[in-house]
Amino acid sequence: MPNFTEETISVAGGNLQVYKGGSGDPLLVLHGAGGNAGPRRYAQALAEKFTVYLPSHPGYGNSDRPGWVETMQDLACFYTWYQEQEGLENVRAIGFSMGGWLAAEMLSMTGHAFSKVMLVGAAGIKPNDGEITDIFIISPAQVRDLVYHEPSQVPEWDEMFGTDPTPEQAQQAEGDREMAIRLTWKPYMHNPRLPAKLGRVSVPTQIVWGENDNLVPVECASLYQQAIAGSGVTVIPNCGHSPQIEKPDDFVQAALAFL
Amino acid sequence: MFLMRFTERAYVNYTEEDVRNSPNEAVRLTFSNTNFDPQEGHYLYNMYLDEYEYSEEVGFDGLMLNEHHNTPTCLGATMNLEAAILARNTKKPKIVLLGNPLPIFDNPIRLAEELAEIDMISSGRLVSGFVRGTGVESLATNTNPLHNRARFEEAHDLVIKTWTTPGPFRWEGDHYHFRVVNPFQTPVQKPHPPVWIPGTGSPETLVWCAERNYPYIFLETDPQGTEDMKSIYAETAREHGYEPGPENFGYLVRIHVQDTDEKAYDVGKGYMVGNIGVGRIPLPRDYASPVGYGSRSDDPRFLRLREQIRSDPFRVGGLDSAHYDEILDSKRWIIGSPETVISQLREVLSYMRPGILAVWTNDGSISHEDTMRCLELMGQEVLPALREIGEELELTDPFQKEGVMPGLTRV
Repeated sequence: MPNFTEETISVAGGNLQVYKGGSGDPLLVLHGAGGNAGPRRYAQALAEKFTVYLPSHPGYGNSDRPGWVETMQDLACFYTWYQEQEGLENVRAIGFSMGGWLAAEMLSMTGHAFSKVMLVGAAGIKPNDGEITDIFIISPAQVRDLVYHEPSQVPEWDEMFGTDPTPEQAQQAEGDREMAIRLTWKPYMHNPRLPAKLGRVSVPTQIVWGENDNLVPVECASLYQQAIAGSGVTVIPNCGHSPQIEKPDDFVQAALAFL
Repeated sequence: MFLMRFTERAYVNYTEEDVRNSPNEAVRLTFSNTNFDPQEGHYLYNMYLDEYEYSEEVGFDGLMLNEHHNTPTCLGATMNLEAAILARNTKKPKIVLLGNPLPIFDNPIRLAEELAEIDMISSGRLVSGFVRGTGVESLATNTNPLHNRARFEEAHDLVIKTWTTPGPFRWEGDHYHFRVVNPFQTPVQKPHPPVWIPGTGSPETLVWCAERNYPYIFLETDPQGTEDMKSIYAETAREHGYEPGPENFGYLVRIHVQDTDEKAYDVGKGYMVGNIGVGRIPLPRDYASPVGYGSRSDDPRFLRLREQIRSDPFRVGGLDSAHYDEILDSKRWIIGSPETVISQLREVLSYMRPGILAVWTNDGSISHEDTMRCLELMGQEVLPALREIGEELELTDPFQKEGVMPGLTRV
């Protein structure tokens, strides 16, 4: 298993917490609204082929929030700053959920952020028929129930959820939720102008979705595909919102095939 | 002492089962409005307005209203409308709005206009209170709870400036932006109507009020906690060069009177289905206080106070955890014959020492008939006695103390 280290670097005047591991070309992994779960099994597997960078977004985990990071577009600006500073432009990237939305915003702003992108259960585009589940009027426990289609097939369940959170972890989770509220409150979890702006994208893009996603409807996969010319779609059957956690082997296989 | 009458104007025509079957078993925010019958609403709004008009007749100094959204527990979804009706239909009492939830208004100028109209129609009887609103108010209006306090403060500053600074002027703030602020209608009270702030003791709000010499109305807080909250207010007041007295504080308490203690005890049980709703099912935390809504101050005084508020069994977890007899024993509600109520209130007033007493006469399932009898007995026996007690204990109110509040100039 590749070793991951936890680093703190300074970006835009604040500390940024980054897990880094593996070897090979850089792969930037952008976590979702729930926070940075660290180098889980899928990240370990990807680190066999790539040098994986897994930062905690500003305001999440142990990362500071520069006062100006209020919106998803601000966050995208922050990450282009990070990429420039760290020499991580034109790299492969994976964005999960809200992190997928973040990657899409970055794609809409610049053609040299990424060389290839995977958007996984990505928020950011308003579904036509369904709705993106409002995670702010249900409890974190209810959110977790909705994230996983079949908890018994989550290999890391005990590790991730087997014990009650410590007070520090609980406080961390509150801070993460607060940052999600800051970034995605209104319009909720989407940017009405994003699909039009994605018209400029020419970077190879793969859209990955759990077939049984209860948070961001799977129809959004087609909406992303329509918005990004030449993009492909992989739907992982019998799987909820987080394929990388619920079906890490299937996910990693799809990721390696594309990246 | 200033005596004002209050009720939350409850709607109770639904069952505990209805709430249990609703999303998150919550009586607010997501409890479907299919549980509301507008015919019943027609009856209730008029009934509650009748009761307020009768409250003038029996001698209350003020008629207090409040506002909540998406809930059967309070019909005052747009309190200013009720206030406008009372402005026209009553002659003497102050119309005390506690308060308009500032952060949820995207256009505070419209609010300034509404309040100015109420002030003019009532010939300067408006007391304009402001609140942050509960989490439900934020969610019901899709106002980001993270910005609640910042929006409260900025909207307040904008409303006050709108009332006191000749227009037109421009406002480019953090949360509000207006190219031409110049509403033609301004309040009749100068420099502006009195501002009172109600709350359960958020330390930041206490400090904010004391900085502005705004009376703070404690909403059913516990005696020990209230003492600590008052000292936070007083400390700030002294830093700003004044010594606060009873005129800086109000206290809201449920007070119900009937001819006998027994009758009052029975009728008073109607409060139990009041602002926590039929079934007394606690509200989900993410509704009442979404992440980001609360303060992150690490001032130890504030933390201690917050812990105290959180652990008050009467308040937290709400009435679902409190029992009727315990509440009465603790004198957090005062229920009985006029004689009983007067003697218990003397005790409460002597340690709480408010210049403003908000009398929550009825709520929940208490009937109109019982409410009217309660108000009648209040007028005949309780209010005169309270005025004497107020004199005796020197519970000066803001209108008796000159120069305490902005907006005292009368028309």
